[in-house]
Amino acid sequence: MLELLSYDFMQRSLVAAALVGALCSVIGVFVVLRGLAFVGAGTAHAAFAGVALAYLVGLPPLPLAIVFGLVTVWVTGLMEEQGRMKLDVSIGILYTATMALAILFIGLMKTYNAEVYGYLFGSVLSVTTEELRIIATLSFLVLGTILAFSKELYFVAFDQEMAEASGVPARRIYYLLLTLVALTMVVSLKTVGAILVFAMVLIPASTAYQLTHSLRHMTFYAVGIGTASSVGGVLLSYVWDVPTGPAIVLLATVIFFVSVLLSPKRIRKVPC
Amino acid sequence: MRVSQGTERPNKEEGGLRLSMSQSIVLFQHATFGFPGVIALKDISLEIARGEFVGVIGPNGSGKTTLCKAMLGLMPPLEGTLRIFDCSCEKLQCHHRAKIGYLPQKGVLDRNFPITVLETVMMGRFGVLGLFKRPHMRDRAIAEEALSHVGMLDHRHHALGHLSGGQQQRVFIARALAQQPQVLLLDEPTTGIDMVTQHSVLDLVKRLHHDLGLTVVLITHDINMIRAHVDRLVLLKTRLYAAGPPADVLKPDILREVYGKEVVITDNDLVIVEDYHHH
Repeated sequence: MLELLSYDFMQRSLVAAALVGALCSVIGVFVVLRGLAFVGAGTAHAAFAGVALAYLVGLPPLPLAIVFGLVTVWVTGLMEEQGRMKLDVSIGILYTATMALAILFIGLMKTYNAEVYGYLFGSVLSVTTEELRIIATLSFLVLGTILAFSKELYFVAFDQEMAEASGVPARRIYYLLLTLVALTMVVSLKTVGAILVFAMVLIPASTAYQLTHSLRHMTFYAVGIGTASSVGGVLLSYVWDVPTGPAIVLLATVIFFVSVLLSPKRIRKVPC
Repeated sequence: MRVSQGTERPNKEEGGLRLSMSQSIVLFQHATFGFPGVIALKDISLEIARGEFVGVIGPNGSGKTTLCKAMLGLMPPLEGTLRIFDCSCEKLQCHHRAKIGYLPQKGVLDRNFPITVLETVMMGRFGVLGLFKRPHMRDRAIAEEALSHVGMLDHRHHALGHLSGGQQQRVFIARALAQQPQVLLLDEPTTGIDMVTQHSVLDLVKRLHHDLGLTVVLITHDINMIRAHVDRLVLLKTRLYAAGPPADVLKPDILREVYGKEVVITDNDLVIVEDYHHH
């Protein structure tokens, strides 16, 4: 195992996995509490459409992934705010539309491009130093923003109307949350892929939800579970020679089901 | 009597002592609220003074909650003006809102939502602190004092979702108190809780009004529950029908007109609106 850690690619992979695991878990706490789970899935696929377009026209993938992700979450937020349709309906439409765009862009490519599929299914073992630098920069940007606005984000996740009435600029904080969700999806695309990133947002936070009745503790538990799943998944995938993305997500899923079985909420003795 | 103008049925004391703005907390002047094509409240003129305990009553859909949202600065008037803390509603800033402790209508709380009583009450400090400032020990002390006021300090580390409906209402009142507000705005605080708890919540509000000198605006559909506690009643049904001391507002002819039902007032001042409210 120690020999494994001496490889450069493995060191990069483990750092990338740990960063993405922690990032997805923290944002996942707010996504789960605010009921934005489907928004995460939709945004990941929108960002993937941006990646596909970038490869089609020969541009760097990151900026277009960010643009597609941000436009999708902001349009979703506006549609929900104006009460024209329910959030799950609006994101469902955008989700399928952006996925159709991604398939269209891939179809328009003259040759098979393995890198595009790497963004769909994840390829953390092939993360380059440059990509790791970008992942680290964006991760610290998102985590720093969450830290700076954590009290407002918690309040909006608990009760947005009450937050607004109490003097918190809740509407702006809600859009900030949507923006952070989109950036998290983009950061994580390369590591776990557009299909599985949603699981990394949802599963560690949902696991932590089972284990505590405190917001603060839920966040700590989620980060621990998310980071451990990501790092453990990378190591298992190498040892057992299986795809990394699914290894990470399936390990997180096993931890989730164990937490459901052991949940103090299930046996109604709830420490805080 | 503070100035209060019923638009359809002007109060008999209209034109009495008018308050200076320094005493006035909320001032509606011919204000109309709603959405384009839907009027929820029309031509409201009402002044609420510092230190008052005002009850707002009216049938379902009469605009009580709209009045509440307007007072929070969340719904600017379509016509007329609304001033809150001597500031135009449209220019209301977050720090103005933080002066109003708000208890919304009791919603359904997921019993497993991961939040403790103390974490809930601490949220009352967030708007007061403003952005980029983290809560300190002083804020925690204020939150614990608020919990002490409502008799829930011993439950501070308990899960909010595991408390009874009445206890949760007390916690939400504590959250409002943690803002150290000038006004306590309560939207149907006794709905969905049992009769004994309803009385204890109202007694608590009355005590907070008296001990902390808070201005209280309490919205309710329960006339008999509120009448003994308030200085003034405001009767709404899209318009402001009457405002004044309970004895002046709770008259059979006024209530009959607003509720559209036969109204009986018993010897012990119980108001019975036929097919609407039962005792």
